Amino acid sequence: MTFVVGYRPHKDDEGPLELACQLARAYGSPVEALTVVPQGWPTAVAGDTDREFRRWAVEEGQACAVEALERLAAHPDVEATASWVSARSVPQALLDRVDAVDAGLVVVGSGEEVATGQVAVTSKTDRLLHSSPVPVAIAPRGYRAGEAATVTRATVAFRGDDTTWNLLDRVAGIVRETQSSIRVVTFAIRRGGMYTSGVPRAEDPVLRSWVAHAEEEQARARDHLTEQGFTDDEVECLTVVAGSWGGAMDRLEWGRGDLLVLGSSFSHRLAQVFLGSSAAKILRHSPVPVIVVPGLRAG
Amino acid sequence: MSVHPRHQSFGDQLRRRKPVVFRQHHRPGEELARTLTTFQLMMFGVGATVGTGIFFVLSESVPEAGPGVVLSFLIAGLAAGLSALCYAELASAIPVSGSTYSYAYHALGELVAVIIAGCVLLEYGVATSAVAVGWSGYFNELLHATLGLRLPEALSSSFLPGPDGVATGGLINLPAVVLVLLCMLLLLRGATESARVNTIMVLIKLGVLLIFSVIAFTAWQGDHFSNFMGSGIGGITAAAGTIFFSFIGLDAVATAGEEVKDPQRALPRAIMGALVIVTTVYILVAVAGLSAKSADWFSTEEAQAAGLSQILNDVTGTQVWGTVLAAGAVISIFSVTLVTLYGQTRILFAIGRDGLISKRFTEVSPRTMTPNFNVVVVSIVVALIAGFVPADYLWDTVSIGTLVAFSVVALGVLILRRTHPDLERPFRMPGYPVTPVLTILACVWILIKLPLITWVIFLTWIALCVAFYLVYGRRRATLNFTTDPEVVGESRDDEEK
Repeated sequence: MTFVVGYRPHKDDEGPLELACQLARAYGSPVEALTVVPQGWPTAVAGDTDREFRRWAVEEGQACAVEALERLAAHPDVEATASWVSARSVPQALLDRVDAVDAGLVVVGSGEEVATGQVAVTSKTDRLLHSSPVPVAIAPRGYRAGEAATVTRATVAFRGDDTTWNLLDRVAGIVRETQSSIRVVTFAIRRGGMYTSGVPRAEDPVLRSWVAHAEEEQARARDHLTEQGFTDDEVECLTVVAGSWGGAMDRLEWGRGDLLVLGSSFSHRLAQVFLGSSAAKILRHSPVPVIVVPGLRAG
Repeated sequence: MSVHPRHQSFGDQLRRRKPVVFRQHHRPGEELARTLTTFQLMMFGVGATVGTGIFFVLSESVPEAGPGVVLSFLIAGLAAGLSALCYAELASAIPVSGSTYSYAYHALGELVAVIIAGCVLLEYGVATSAVAVGWSGYFNELLHATLGLRLPEALSSSFLPGPDGVATGGLINLPAVVLVLLCMLLLLRGATESARVNTIMVLIKLGVLLIFSVIAFTAWQGDHFSNFMGSGIGGITAAAGTIFFSFIGLDAVATAGEEVKDPQRALPRAIMGALVIVTTVYILVAVAGLSAKSADWFSTEEAQAAGLSQILNDVTGTQVWGTVLAAGAVISIFSVTLVTLYGQTRILFAIGRDGLISKRFTEVSPRTMTPNFNVVVVSIVVALIAGFVPADYLWDTVSIGTLVAFSVVALGVLILRRTHPDLERPFRMPGYPVTPVLTILACVWILIKLPLITWVIFLTWIALCVAFYLVYGRRRATLNFTTDPEVVGESRDDEEK
């Protein structure tokens, strides 16, 4: 199953290509780098004045495909192709390609608005997240996986509701294929109570109840994974209590080959991979590549 | 350690206390960061207090006290300030969640805790309803001034007649119900009022009250104050009872004390600072209102809903300033409703954890980390009260609940100083033992002047609470099954698993 990666011409960030190759290596999939160049006017223009632009677009597309292939050549063990397409919407072009080649994953970058090493959802990625039928992998800006890098561990954000149970099942299935381990993490973020309510420490017992429930679910999750053939060494369960999402991420130990997997908190067909508020916050603070799994239906 | 109820006599059970959580029990590094400054704390106090009552309370209190209502504000403020000092000591000595109820359980035993739980339900639950009813009046005024619409009487007031027995022509107070339900939706989504929102609300409230005072003073009529003591000390004290409701919130300073730098110095300053600001603003508004309108006007129907806006409209002859005031009230009272409703849900959460009510109140949604069942039940009850009970019955009921709770807090301080003299107290109140004794006297003095109907409502409610405890809570209390401080003492043991 091909992994489609969006390749932006004339940018130094090779993060998406690196991540795509890393994932492709882990899953034994081919990578297709797709460059989207602007489309001319769809209607005829008097005197065909648009011709120059269309010619430029073709040349640009071809040059980009060549450039992408050159960069992918740094990963000789990954079967890679490059193509280009002229379209009005980058996300839509990526989705069309995913559909055409029956791809299993689409890989994008974090844009240039964030510092190196940080993950961000650009406006194009946002649109992609809203309508992608396949998981979307987002590389941190300037991500470098290194030669022969593969996936060693998938960290799943789990809170014990139906959506994250579904996510856990999906991730477990994928992780089995790659011989990597799975880390089930519950993020308990201490919420500030309302000072003016006159109820001190109001959120502490609420948080404790929530954590107790989540830990029961984690224990069940561990049993569930064991039933699926995971050994104790391959499964790790953690609860991180912190005052902020950034703090929670800092408390976790991260290594090369780590991935963070998030699910959608909405089960409605129209909302597919619309991120919940928690997922959006986790994503912003992730120090490793993030994969967002779409359309997890409750139940 | 497990203690089954059959090993305890009934009397022992009523007296048993939750183990006091000693500060030394905490592991190093787990204390909350002491980040608040005295000024911020003072602003929390002002933010929590102003706006709860001043927009509505004149029409309730001026008919009782006449122009002497100014003194009523001073009396109520004094009682609130003293109570806040007592509360601050208790809150700093026992670091648990759950407001006065939890402190009572730790210091005074299970039966008193149940009674205080009843008081606190009035303080928060009924206060939310009362505030929502007041909001409804200003909302209607705003609708009328901006769109020329006014909700029909049937949809903007309750069908129950007030204490005067005159039929209202109403059916349900729909805006109040809608407001409570809106707040419920916000709480279900996990909304909180941040320090910044609080500051904005403080500025809006103080701003509109200042505008009111300045404009109302332009219509100064000195003779409105001529019969200053006409209602006598009795009337003035009775009004103080009603007004006391508008000083609730000052205790927010006491409970946030744990996060302030140098609580011994900062807490009394913040409490006194907030008290001075709040009392000054209230008296300014009261004097301004009385200077523009005679005391008799405040008992008219016109004054009942959106009273302050009416005064501005009459003084200026235009609706502009009245509308500005109504808009400020609508925005700021919305946040007050949200915060009080929130407080109520979290107090019930604490009571639920102690097993005195159903554990369903402590179920937390995995998705939003909010106690959804709790929020929905509380909101529906509060919405029903707001929709169907007139404001006249609500204010006094809130005041009586709070006054009793505060008296018990002061008593708790006295008892805890005797039973646990060595307990670490980051804040020790000045003037012990005079301050707590004075607090109890001040509260009781106001309490005895509250109307008979309020006492009947209050005692009936407390009797119901105690009966519920005897039938339900007594057998299910968490203390029946464990006295392990780790379980019941709510220590901060959840930093990292």
